[in-house]
Amino acid sequence: MLKKITTTAAILMVGSTAALAHVTLEGKEAPLGSTYKAVLRVPHGCEGKPTNTVRVQIPEGFYGVKPQPKAGWTLGKVKGAYAKAYDNHGSPVTEGVKEVVWSGGNLGDDEYEEFVLRGTIAVDLKAGDMLYFPVIQECPEGLKERWIEVPAAGQKASDLELPAPGVKLLQKTGN
Amino acid sequence: MTPLCYKALSLTGALQRFAYAILLWSVMTAAASAHASLNTTEPRDGSVVSTAPRMIALTFSEPVSPTSLKLTRPDRSSVTLKNFVLKDRTVEITPPDDLSDGSYLLSWRVVSEDGHPIGGSVVFSIGRPNADARGAVVDIDWPVRTGLWIGKVALYVGLFFGVGGAFAIHWFADGSGNALRQLVVILGAGFAGALLSAGFQGLDTVGEPVSRLFVPAVWKAGMATSFGPTVIFAIAALALAGLALASGRGRDARWISISAVITAAFALCLSGHASAADPQWLMRPAVFLHVAAITVWAGALLPLLAEFGKDKEAAGAALHRFSVFIPWAVLVLAVAGCVLAVVQVRTPAGLVTTAYGIVFLVKLGLLALLFALAAVNRWKLTSCSRKGEPAAIRQLVRSIAAETVILLLIFAVAATWRFTPPPRTLIAEVQRTAVVHLETSKAVADVRITPDRVGEVAISAVIAKSDRSPLDPQEVTVVLSNPGAGIEPIRRRAEKGRDGWAVPDIVLPVPGRWRLRLDVIVSDFEITRMEGEIEIAP
Repeated sequence: MLKKITTTAAILMVGSTAALAHVTLEGKEAPLGSTYKAVLRVPHGCEGKPTNTVRVQIPEGFYGVKPQPKAGWTLGKVKGAYAKAYDNHGSPVTEGVKEVVWSGGNLGDDEYEEFVLRGTIAVDLKAGDMLYFPVIQECPEGLKERWIEVPAAGQKASDLELPAPGVKLLQKTGN
Repeated sequence: MTPLCYKALSLTGALQRFAYAILLWSVMTAAASAHASLNTTEPRDGSVVSTAPRMIALTFSEPVSPTSLKLTRPDRSSVTLKNFVLKDRTVEITPPDDLSDGSYLLSWRVVSEDGHPIGGSVVFSIGRPNADARGAVVDIDWPVRTGLWIGKVALYVGLFFGVGGAFAIHWFADGSGNALRQLVVILGAGFAGALLSAGFQGLDTVGEPVSRLFVPAVWKAGMATSFGPTVIFAIAALALAGLALASGRGRDARWISISAVITAAFALCLSGHASAADPQWLMRPAVFLHVAAITVWAGALLPLLAEFGKDKEAAGAALHRFSVFIPWAVLVLAVAGCVLAVVQVRTPAGLVTTAYGIVFLVKLGLLALLFALAAVNRWKLTSCSRKGEPAAIRQLVRSIAAETVILLLIFAVAATWRFTPPPRTLIAEVQRTAVVHLETSKAVADVRITPDRVGEVAISAVIAKSDRSPLDPQEVTVVLSNPGAGIEPIRRRAEKGRDGWAVPDIVLPVPGRWRLRLDVIVSDFEITRMEGEIEIAP
């Protein structure tokens, strides 16, 4: 009986907690044109193995990215050209960080850690859309956990096995 | 949500408070939890273990509650496993203690603390590697095989030497009674062989040991196979031959003896590898003619020997008739034999790469020897012997005796064909491949499943971009599930080979419609999941 109630209660909870699963972003919503601090929460390793590397792909429309260094991890930045120029206080920005890599660390499967980067959300993205930050965790023996799936039209993030963390874009605020 | 939950559960006071507490606890703990994923299993997925496991352990990334645990046995029956304990993040399942050798599939479904149900399947085999789930791999029962072989050889001896002998006495030796005693013994041996074959065929069919030979059900099973009619017509042929021998000389006896030959040839074209092959309109008549020709040739040898032993003059006359007739019989024999060989072996490579082909080559070697002796008899010794040259007669008698021995060896070799599938059928098995085309906006894939039936299968996939330009994925995972049979996804990482991606061995325990999915990691941050369905035959 206890098991049944637990299960029933747990199933009722799906709606409110699914967004907390996997590698996720702490800030769920952000307005267009704002500076967004992306806090990636890594809850476990790969099939019981520790995480040595965390890689984040920077989505198009998130520019001027600065990752936060982390003690015990080597920070790498893969830079490249943006698809278009973005506005940085009046001057156009055409290239920047496209991928951030924290490597050489050792995050146990039974440990929790957060990885932080900051950037600007382009004004010309569409409010109401999701902006996804695909993440790969690399572990020993070539094991990888990929959080890289983006829902197709008509699909919900909770339908995905490997959902990429995302942030919901809001209307640009007044200032 | 809470009032709704109350209604839905409609619980009494104490339980309500309890459920409420659980809900609160869920909310609080869920924040710290994630979807569960399976970390390890014991036995490992895809492994072969030597003895039945006392316990099956599934270790997840976090504590879970099983909602369904189903074990599919090698005979495709399935049993729900209720006997499990939860130890932290591990589910320890006690399987039934009567697990026999073969492949098992444990389909699991659990719900993690965040309420997300996940499922999967673990396949393991007990005892033999590559065991297939149909349980069709049976250890060879040598006593039964030997019995089958002896029965077959005795049957051949009875039909070819016995029935053929009766024919030869009436058509070549003018109804002479010189070989009568030997032929009666041979017909008796053939009769015993036919009966023995029926019994051993039954044992082989139901997979019983020799000790069960005298169980009626075994015989019934043997007679129910395609070999049953062969036994009946073979016994009829032997009886007709006996009748021909008992009828003295004359036209009646001649016609009875020829009907015995026809019945014998008919008996052997009713069963066996060659008769079962397509095209039937060609193969069955080919077997019939092949057998009839052998009967006429082989059958003549013993009566001729007997004649030379008694009445030289009559022997000369019999030899003359035989030698006039025999080239035609040999022509029919060779043409029919070639047809059978080509259809059965298919490719020249099949001659050396299969047991069937090797048996064929041995038989061909013996046949070459036999033809050489026969040619010497026909073109050299026959004319001299008819002139009554004693040395030539002695040599001819020795040569005929040698031919008889070689024929016996050929029968012994041909009887082993009972145990070797012809390359034709092996090719047919390999060629039974299910092909399914999968397509997404990012990629296309042609997936082949060989063979397309229950048991161990190999899967290969050729993957390209949707515009058919080459695609070199980083990883490919094959996921197979059968929702209809309640089988949760079986996952296997594919290996990259020269001709695409492959999973060499994956056990599909039940037939029916399976869902196939390829998870293709196109590039570091890009995945495409390609889905389709395949039909797996029993």
